[in-house]
Amino acid sequence: MITILRDLVQSFLTFLERVGLLVRFALRLFAILPSGLLRVRPIIEQVYNTGAMSLVIIMTCGLFVGMVLGLQGYDLLTRFGSEEYLGTATAISLLRELGPVVTALLFAGRAGTALAAELGLMRATDQIAAMEIMAVDPMRRVVLPRFLGGVIAMPLLVSIFIVVALFGAQLVGVEFFGVDSGSYWSQMRSAVELSDIREGLVKGLVFGVACSLIAVYEGYNAMPTAEGVGRATTRTVVISAVVTLILDYILTALML
Amino acid sequence: MSGPARSVANKRPNDQLVNNQSGPAAASAPAVQSPSIAVLRDVHFDVDSGKTVFSALDIEIRRGAITAIMGPSGTGKTTLLKLITGQVCADRGQVVVDGLDVAKLNRKQIFALRRRMGMLFQNGALLTDLDVFENVAFPLREHTRLPERLIRTIVLMKLHAVGLRGAADLYPQQLSGGMGRRVALARAIVMDPEILIYDEPFAGLDPISMGVVLRLIRSLNDALGITSIVVTHDVREISQIADMSFIIAEGKVVASGTTAELRDHPSPIVHQFVDGLADGPVPFHYPAAEYHEQLLGGKVFA
Repeated sequence: MITILRDLVQSFLTFLERVGLLVRFALRLFAILPSGLLRVRPIIEQVYNTGAMSLVIIMTCGLFVGMVLGLQGYDLLTRFGSEEYLGTATAISLLRELGPVVTALLFAGRAGTALAAELGLMRATDQIAAMEIMAVDPMRRVVLPRFLGGVIAMPLLVSIFIVVALFGAQLVGVEFFGVDSGSYWSQMRSAVELSDIREGLVKGLVFGVACSLIAVYEGYNAMPTAEGVGRATTRTVVISAVVTLILDYILTALML
Repeated sequence: MSGPARSVANKRPNDQLVNNQSGPAAASAPAVQSPSIAVLRDVHFDVDSGKTVFSALDIEIRRGAITAIMGPSGTGKTTLLKLITGQVCADRGQVVVDGLDVAKLNRKQIFALRRRMGMLFQNGALLTDLDVFENVAFPLREHTRLPERLIRTIVLMKLHAVGLRGAADLYPQQLSGGMGRRVALARAIVMDPEILIYDEPFAGLDPISMGVVLRLIRSLNDALGITSIVVTHDVREISQIADMSFIIAEGKVVASGTTAELRDHPSPIVHQFVDGLADGPVPFHYPAAEYHEQLLGGKVFA
C-alpha cells in the first residue's frame, strides 16, 4: 500500500516536473517571439511544410467526415420530417466542434509527428549542438519558425476542412438523397452566426498553439537515440490528442 | 601521475590568465596574449548518474599548436570539449579559455566566445535541409551582414581549401563520410576562428580520406595560425601532426608530452594505449562475476 502511494506521489511529481519544463520552454519561446517574427522566410517555409503538406490528408478526411455527417444527419432529420435543416446541422457541428477537433487530431498525427521527428533527429545527429557551437540559438533559428508555422497553419487547415466537409455533406444530402439544394444552403446561411465561425477559428488557433508547442517541445527535448525520437513522436500524438480534447471542453464551456 | 603530466598538475593557479570579465563585450575582446589559449585546472566533473568523469584534471593547451587529447573510450574526451566550449560546466575547478573563466560567462558572452571557435563534430553535423554551399555559408549569414557576392567568394574559397568547391550544390545525404567531414571543416573555418576543435575527425574514414583530413588539420593550423585541439584515439595518425598530446584515463591526465615523449613513457597505461594492447591497466573485460561461476551457476547476469 505504501509502495503504491509512493509510486503515485512520484508519478504526480514527475508529471508536475514535466509540466513545469513545458511551461518554461513555452515562456522562452514567447520571449523570443518578437525577434523571431522579423524572419519571415523561415516561417513561410514552415507554414508550407506543416500546412500545405497536410492538405491532402485534411481534405480527404474532411470530405469523408462531411459525407458521414450527411448520411447520419439525413437519417436523423427525416425521422422528424425536417431534412431541410441538414445544412444547418452539419455547418454548426463542423464549425463549433468537428472541424477544429478533427483537424487538430489529424494535424498532431501528420505535422506534429513530422516536427517532433525532425527536431529529434536534429538533436540525435548533433545539428542542434552544432548550432550552439556556432553561437546560433537553435530555439530562435529552428524551433520558433516551426512553432509559428504550425500556429498559422492550423486555423487555415480548420477552414479548409470545414469547407470540404460541407461540400461532402451536400454531396450526400443534396446529390444523393435529394434534399432541396436551396433549403440546404439558405437554412445554413440563416442559422449560422458569426460567433459560430469565431468559435471554430478560436479553437483552431488554440489547438494550433497547443499541438505545435507539444510537438516542438517533445522533438527538441528528445533523447538523442532512435528510441528517443520514436518516443518523442508517440508522445506528441498522445499528449496532443488528450490536450486537444481537454481544451475543447474548456473552450466550449467558455464560449457557449 | 608522472612525468610531464605531473608538471602540469602541479602548476599554481595563475590569476593573471583570467581577464576582468565585465560586460558582454568581455568575451569578444581579445585577451592578454598568453602562451596558453585554454587552461583546465583541478577540474572535477560528474554526470547526472553520479559517475565521475574527471577528478582533478589539469590540462594546458598551447596557443598556435596542435594538441591531441587521447584516451580509451568513455574517458570523457568529448566531455572535455564540452567544458572548453561552455556546453557543460565543471562541478569544481576552473576552465579558462583565452583568459576567460567559462563558468562565469553568461549566455551572451559564451556565444561571443564560441564565435571565435570552430568545431568539427564526429559525424559532421551538417544541416540536412541545406546544401553544401548553404551549410558553409550558414555562420556567415547568421553573424554577419556581408553582401551576397562576398559570402559567395568566402564560401567558395573555404570549399576550395578542403577540395570540395565542385560539391557546392550537393546535399549532405549525397556526400560520403569523408566528404561530409571536409564540408563540416569548411564550415568550421568559415568565420576564421582562433581555436579549431576536432571531435574524432578520423572515425570511420577510409585511409585516403583519413590522410586528406590529417593533412588539412596540419595545413589549416599553419596557414591560418590557429590553435587546434584534436580529440581522437587514432594514436598513429595524430602522432604525425600533433605538437603536444595528453592521454586521459580514470578522470585525469596520465601522461602528456610530444609523441616521442609518450612513446618512451614508463606508465603501463600509456604503454597499453600507445601500443594498442587489448589488456592491461585498462581491462579488456567489463567487470563481471567469475567466468566459470557464471557459466555453471545458470545465472545470466552478475
